[in-house]
Amino acid sequence: MSSLLEMKNITKSFHGVRVLQGVNFAVNPGEVVALCGENGAGKSTLMKILMGIYSKDSGEITFDGVTLDGHNPLKSLEQGISMIHQELNLVESLTIAQNIFLGREPRKPGGLIDFQRMHTLSQDIMTNLNERTPVGTKVEDIKLAQKQVVEIAKAVSTNCKLIIMDEPTAVLTDRETDMLFELIHKLKTQGVAIIYISHRLGEIKEICDKVTILRDGALVATKNVSEVTEHQIANLMVGRELEDSVIEPFSGDEDDIALEVRNVSDDFLKDVSFKIRRGEVIGFSGLVGAGRTELMEYIFGLRTVKQGTMLLNGKEVSIKNPAEAIRNGIGFATEDRKRTGLVLIRSISENINYCYLISKVKAFLNSKKIAENAKAMIKRLNVVCTGPKQLVQDLSGGNQQKVILSKWLLVNSEILILDEPTRGIDVGARGEIYEIIHDLARRGKSIIIVSSDLPEILKTCPRVIVMYEGRITGELVGEECTESNIMALASNLQEAK
Amino acid sequence: MNNLKLKSTIQTTWNEYSVTLVFAALILISGLLTPSFFSTNNFMAIFRNSAAIGVIGLGMTFVIIAGGIDLSVGANFAACGVIMILMQGSLGLPLPLAILVTCISGATIGFINGFIISKAKLPPFIVTLAMQVLLRSIVMYLTKGATMRGVRDPAFTSIGNGSVFGGLPTPFFIFLVIALIMHIILSKTKLGTYVYAVGGNEIAARYTGIKVDAVKIATYVLIGLMAAFASIMEVSRMASVSPTVSGVQYELEAVISAIVGGTSFSGGKGKILGTILGAIMLFIISNMLIHLNISTYLSGAVKGTVILVAVLLQKRQD
Repeated sequence: MSSLLEMKNITKSFHGVRVLQGVNFAVNPGEVVALCGENGAGKSTLMKILMGIYSKDSGEITFDGVTLDGHNPLKSLEQGISMIHQELNLVESLTIAQNIFLGREPRKPGGLIDFQRMHTLSQDIMTNLNERTPVGTKVEDIKLAQKQVVEIAKAVSTNCKLIIMDEPTAVLTDRETDMLFELIHKLKTQGVAIIYISHRLGEIKEICDKVTILRDGALVATKNVSEVTEHQIANLMVGRELEDSVIEPFSGDEDDIALEVRNVSDDFLKDVSFKIRRGEVIGFSGLVGAGRTELMEYIFGLRTVKQGTMLLNGKEVSIKNPAEAIRNGIGFATEDRKRTGLVLIRSISENINYCYLISKVKAFLNSKKIAENAKAMIKRLNVVCTGPKQLVQDLSGGNQQKVILSKWLLVNSEILILDEPTRGIDVGARGEIYEIIHDLARRGKSIIIVSSDLPEILKTCPRVIVMYEGRITGELVGEECTESNIMALASNLQEAK
Repeated sequence: MNNLKLKSTIQTTWNEYSVTLVFAALILISGLLTPSFFSTNNFMAIFRNSAAIGVIGLGMTFVIIAGGIDLSVGANFAACGVIMILMQGSLGLPLPLAILVTCISGATIGFINGFIISKAKLPPFIVTLAMQVLLRSIVMYLTKGATMRGVRDPAFTSIGNGSVFGGLPTPFFIFLVIALIMHIILSKTKLGTYVYAVGGNEIAARYTGIKVDAVKIATYVLIGLMAAFASIMEVSRMASVSPTVSGVQYELEAVISAIVGGTSFSGGKGKILGTILGAIMLFIISNMLIHLNISTYLSGAVKGTVILVAVLLQKRQD
C-alpha cells in the first residue's frame, strides 16, 4: 500500500535552535497514527509544518501523490488535510450549519446563500457522525464534545483525507471519549486517516494502529501499537526508565485538621462538607459540571455562597477574595493555564513572583529578592527555559505548569488546590509534578487534587471525594478507591459501593 | 546557523530600540532638511511645547498598559484649568492651595472613571467618552463659552514660562521629574508589576490575588492627576483657558505618544521612556513642518503617517 502522507527528513530551526532534525513520518489511508513525545519534542512543529503554518528548512512532504512545498494552511485544506486544534476554532454565535460551511456556503444562482441546502447537507454529515443535534442550533449552546464533532464535520465536509487531532480527549468525559472513539472507527472505515496526538497512552493503545515517537526533535521509533506496551511507549518518549509513582498513604495526625468546609450551599453547590488534614493529599473526582471547580472557587474567595462556613486550623474564617486566601495560606493552581493561570506575555520571573508580592506589605519591589526567588524556583522545579526573563508564552505546557506551581510554592501555601494539574502535560513532566506533590505532603502541606483523569487520581490520592451535580456523593479511602467505585459515585448510581 | 543567530540578534535589537531609532532618524531628517532645526532655542521650544502632552501621555501609558483607555483626559485638562483660574481668581486662594484643589479635582474625575469602569464593568472607551462630553459641557457652562483670563501672579507664571539650569524649560524639567517618578512606579513597585499583569491577563491576575479593580482605579486616578499637572503648567504659561481650544484632542495626542513609544494597545506591555520620546516626536514633526514652511494644516497628515509607520514597524515584532 502506498502512503497517503510521507514526510521525509524534515528539519526546522528557530532562532538558531534546531527543533526538528531529519524526522520521517508516514501515514497510510484509513490508518490511525499516534504522534507521541514530551512537550517540546517537536510534535506541534511537525504538524504545523505539515499544515503549512511554518515552513520547513529542508525535507520533503508528499501527500496523496502531490509534493507540498511552500504551501499554506488553505492549500493544505484544499489538498484534504484538516487539523482540529485543542482550542476549537468555531464561531460561537453562528449555527452548527453555518460553522460547517463557513467560507464555503452553498449559493443560489445570484449569489445568495442557499440556507436550505446548507442545512440538509450539514444535517446529513452530522447524522453520519452520530450527532443528532439540530444544525440550526448556535454553537454557543452546545456542549464541548458536540463542538468537537462540529469541527470533525467541518473537516469531513471538505472531503478531507487526513485529520490531525490534537489532544482531542483532554476536555471530554469518559462517555464522550467513547463516542469520539466510535467516530474515529467510523471515519477509518470510510478511508480517512487520522494523526492522533495525545498524552494518554491508554487511549493510544485503544484506538491507534501505529505510534510514532519523537524526542528532542528527532524520530525515536515508529511501531505497531500491538507490539508495544504503554510503559514501553512512555520509556521511549522520555528516553529513560520511568518509575511508577507509588501512592503514599496518609501517615500524619488524624485529628490535625487543616481545612474544614461545613454545609456550603448556593445555586450550584448543595450542602457540601469535607475536611482535609495537615500533610494529606485528597482527590476530588466527578464529571464535568459536578461542582468541583465551583467548590474550589469558594475556598479561594472567588465565589460567594448563600450559606456555609470554612474553618482553617479549627478557626472560622471568612475569605472574600483571593488576596485574603493567599494571606491565609491557601493556593489555587487553576485548570486553565492560559486563561486563569498565567500572564502569558510577561516574564517567568514576574509570574512566579505575583503571589509572593501579594503576601508582602511593602510597596517597593526588592529586585534582588525577586530575582533570587525566580532563580531558585526555576532550579527547584527544573523549569526548562533560557532564563527568568523569558516570556511564559514561549514555554511548553509542562514548564508553564511548573511556573504556576512555583508561584504557590514560593508563598509556602499550607493548603494547595491543584485543578487538573497535569492536563496536556507529557509523562516525564507529569512524574515530576507528582513527585512535587508528594514532597509537599511530606512537609505537612495539604493538597487537594481536582482531576478528571481517573488513573491520575488513583495514582496520587489515598482518599477520594466524589461529587455529582453540586453535592458530595461519597468518599473512598484506600482499597475502596477503584475506577468502578468512583464512576458509580460520579454518575450517582444507586448500587454504588 | 551563524546567519540565523545574526538575524535573531538584529531582531531583538530592533524590538528593543525601534522607537529610539525612528526618533533618531526623525531628528536627522529634520536637521538635514532645515538647517535652522539644530539650534538650542529651537530644541528648547520643542521641549516646552511637548511637556503638557508628555505628562498626560505618562498617565495614558499606565492606563493603556493596564488594558484601558481614557478619552476624557483632554476635557479633564480643560476642567482643571477652569478650576485653577477660579480658585486663584474668584476665590483668591493662595497659590499652593489652588494647585492642591486642582490636583484633587483632576484625580477625583479619574477616580470616578476608574470606579465606574471597574465596578460596573463597562468598557473604558464608552465611560470616558461620556465623561469627555460631560466635562466639555461643564467647562463651556463655567466659562460661558468665552476664554477665561487668569491671574498673572509672577510666582505662578514662572512655572510655565521659566527655565532652570540656565535654559531648560521648567515645564519640560517637571515633565522629566514626573516621568522618572512614573518610571519608578512602573518598574520598581508592586503597583507597576500589577498594572502589567492586569493588562496582560486580567482573569489570571484576579486568580493570583491581585485586586484588579483597585489597580485599574489607580491608573485612572494617576492619569487624572497627570491631567491636572499638565493643566496647571499650561494655565501658568498662557494665563487663560479657552473652552474651545484648551485640551482639545489632547487625549488622542497622549494615546499617540504612548503607542508610538511602544506601548501595546492591547495592554500588558509598554515603557515610560518610549512615551517620553513619543511625545517629543510629535512636536518635532510640527516644528519641522514650520521650518520647512509647509502649511500647518498638513501637520495632522504627517503625524498620521508617522503613527502608521511606527505601529507597522512594531507589528512586525509579533
